[in-house]
Amino acid sequence: MSLRDLVMGGAGCSAPGVGPSTANPMAGLADSLIGGAAKQQERLRELPGLAGPEVGPSSQDFGRSRLQPPLPGFELDHGIVGPSGPRGQEFLQGFNSHNQGFSDAWDEALRPGFPHGPPMGPEAAHFEDFERIYSQQGPMLAGPMPEGAPQQVLAGFLHSFLDSSRTAAPFPAVKLPELGLSQMDKERIRNRSSIMARHIFADKGPMFVENQVNALLQSLEIDRNPELEHRMHGPMGGAFREFEDYWAEGAPPVNGPGHPDQWAAEFQNKLRLQNGNHWGEEYARENSSGGTWGDEFAQEQGDQWAEEMAAQERQRLGLLPGQQAATLDQTRQLAETLSQNKDPKFQNSKFLQFVSKMSRGELIMEDNAVREAAAGDGWANEFQVQQTRGAFGGPQQANDWASEFHREQQQDPQGWADEYAQEQAQGPKDWADEFGDQVAKGALDIDESGWVDSYNQFLDESRGGEASTSNMDYKFAEQNPYMGHPAPLREGQDLFRRGLLSEAVLALEAEVLKNPNSCEGWRLLGNCHAENDDDRQAIAAMLKAREADPTNLEVLLSLGVSHTNELEQQEALGYLRSWLQNHPRYGKLVPQDGSAEGLGHEEVVNMFRAAVREAPEDADLHTVLGVLFNLSREYDLAIEAFRQALQLKPKDYSLWNKLGATQANSARSADAVQAYQEALDLKPNYVRAWSNMGIGYANQGRYEESIRYYVQALQMNPMSDNAWNYLRISLSCAGRMDMVELVDRKDLDVLAKEYPL
Amino acid sequence: MGAQGDGEKLASSSKLKSAALLDMMKEHIKGPEGKGLLEKIGLVYQMNIGEKKLGFQEESFVIDLKEGNVYKGAYKGGKPDATFSFADQDFVAVATGKLNPQMAFIRGKMRIKGSMKAAQKFTPDIFPKPSKL
Repeated sequence: MSLRDLVMGGAGCSAPGVGPSTANPMAGLADSLIGGAAKQQERLRELPGLAGPEVGPSSQDFGRSRLQPPLPGFELDHGIVGPSGPRGQEFLQGFNSHNQGFSDAWDEALRPGFPHGPPMGPEAAHFEDFERIYSQQGPMLAGPMPEGAPQQVLAGFLHSFLDSSRTAAPFPAVKLPELGLSQMDKERIRNRSSIMARHIFADKGPMFVENQVNALLQSLEIDRNPELEHRMHGPMGGAFREFEDYWAEGAPPVNGPGHPDQWAAEFQNKLRLQNGNHWGEEYARENSSGGTWGDEFAQEQGDQWAEEMAAQERQRLGLLPGQQAATLDQTRQLAETLSQNKDPKFQNSKFLQFVSKMSRGELIMEDNAVREAAAGDGWANEFQVQQTRGAFGGPQQANDWASEFHREQQQDPQGWADEYAQEQAQGPKDWADEFGDQVAKGALDIDESGWVDSYNQFLDESRGGEASTSNMDYKFAEQNPYMGHPAPLREGQDLFRRGLLSEAVLALEAEVLKNPNSCEGWRLLGNCHAENDDDRQAIAAMLKAREADPTNLEVLLSLGVSHTNELEQQEALGYLRSWLQNHPRYGKLVPQDGSAEGLGHEEVVNMFRAAVREAPEDADLHTVLGVLFNLSREYDLAIEAFRQALQLKPKDYSLWNKLGATQANSARSADAVQAYQEALDLKPNYVRAWSNMGIGYANQGRYEESIRYYVQALQMNPMSDNAWNYLRISLSCAGRMDMVELVDRKDLDVLAKEYPL
Repeated sequence: MGAQGDGEKLASSSKLKSAALLDMMKEHIKGPEGKGLLEKIGLVYQMNIGEKKLGFQEESFVIDLKEGNVYKGAYKGGKPDATFSFADQDFVAVATGKLNPQMAFIRGKMRIKGSMKAAQKFTPDIFPKPSKL
């Protein structure tokens, strides 16, 4: 492939595994110049020629280049708006316009704790969402981005990158929040990730390494090929008209060192010199003498960019021999943290061996050599890799500058390591430090920011499919003070009677761990979860109870109710039918030849009606009928059935709750609230009724009240995800964005003070 | 409720959880509690719900927040203001606040056709939350 192709963005210059439009060099350039380094500065001051709609091209590329096809469901995108299309942008952006009631509500429901700021430029607005997550700790739109939060996100992300080495799972490219990485940061990450990946994944072959690194870099919005970023400063191809137009507006016509071959020659020369100066600076200097658009660019808004380069340079020069002691210390620390990683692959990696040597002082850095190596090395790695896999068209081009790099690379095999160590010495904020810390701490400790949570959750989902809902396994609490209790069942029953549901759950878990076939233990445990407003756990426990005793009527009814609540109609119908089937008195009403399996809702209802004719005084029959009518959403009939049952059993709090829930689901929330109150009078710690009460008020648009009830429910059972979700919605509907943040942190104390019942 | 023509339950002809949820929605917007919603939104949404996967074996439902109705099938009054595609459980997750719509969109779990302005009003708070028996 000719250099021209590279410059013009020919098909072959995309990285493998990436669609042609995603990694085109233009996108890379747009990313790096506008999306990357310039973005931060854009926030600091309005830059002429960059503000406003003129960033269009980059916004266009934004979606394509950053949201990669691996996102589920994208293969079907025809005529439907995906996040990448311009209309998708519009859609996402729309959430950020703070002048419409409902989009506000959405916005706020989803993005808690964000102080309303002035609308941003379209580009910034796209991921304002994520930005605000970390901007909570710092000023918005002003000053440099805070160090802490993005570091944390980055660290979490890099950590999961390392994790992928253990699972050997392909590392998925994901959209990360704007981390505000400087050009320098990006370059460092690029260089190091390539280096580390090759060691961590040494046994997986170069393609795997390549893919992993690509995924990482994509996610971090770092262009795979740094050289392309510069190479692109040439004449633009017709395919990039928008971009061309954009440049034409802000800069004089392109001439200068534009011709690709010419440029390549210069480039080659420059690299041969190996004089230790950073190429970025050199590039800037060359251009500034030429009076090209690059010069213009630098003057207009690239000054800081260039300064960053220069700063890095200064930093490198500043690495005096006297600092070697500090370096030694740093590396020792690093070696310690890294050695805590138990992964044998990691333990055997050359990387770790190197760091260990460093820390023992067996390797000593000479700053000149290091600097020289570092300046050329990152590239060299890139090129070596590119060269190996032939992405640039194979080894034809005899004068290939890439092979020159290759050779250089071989001359200095320690280069990467030196570079790494040198960077390591630069400061405690270092990437590797962070990385090592995270490794040492383990995955669980990094989840301080909700963002990392949802990112991990996303990863889980994309890897493990949707196991969460179909997974019926009971989840035990990790720590249980009732383990070893002599009579956990009795204790659990007692706690249940006293209304201490969450405590009862623990005691009963101890019971079923002791006696896995304890039907009563599992049943009561399931019952506790149902009253605690957790139907998934209730179902899981009840299934175990049913294993122990397949004919227990209470268990079958509970399963029917919980599946109804989870909108699982077929399952619910099945259990309610087997309730009748297994009933000693009414079982005869059900065909016993096995044909009962196929009975539909109507037939089952008819059998129950026959049973009611036989025994109108049996409250349970009315109760099951009420559930059945809920299932078919015949709410009037359901309410009637529950009322009948309540006449026979007026002290049954769960019946009052069932009546209320039926009323609320049929738009009679005012009635429902009264029924719930009856239930709560009978059982004050009935979490489900408290939670339902909140729903009842929310349905009526009385959000303030609903918040109080949700908070109350959560104080009794902080594990109720439903209540947290509903609370968030009610808070945003009530305009209490300041409180939504507390929901994200699951901080009840302040909420309870603000919303006492 | 009962036997009148539009009293037909969506869930009686569908196994989708979404259908059950939309039945509640229907009760909600036909009753006094849903009045405000019609004033506030006044748009027509069509939902295409795939049982397991977005785009496959889809059933369509219309949430008509202009007239105050929910029914199965495609919109009868022309073009809906916005059409959403979901997998069954993702729609339920969005409607119950488990999954944030924007995240659903970004992850490709929700697709949108039609007016963006209309789509932006499609928020979890328009759906009544299912109360638990």
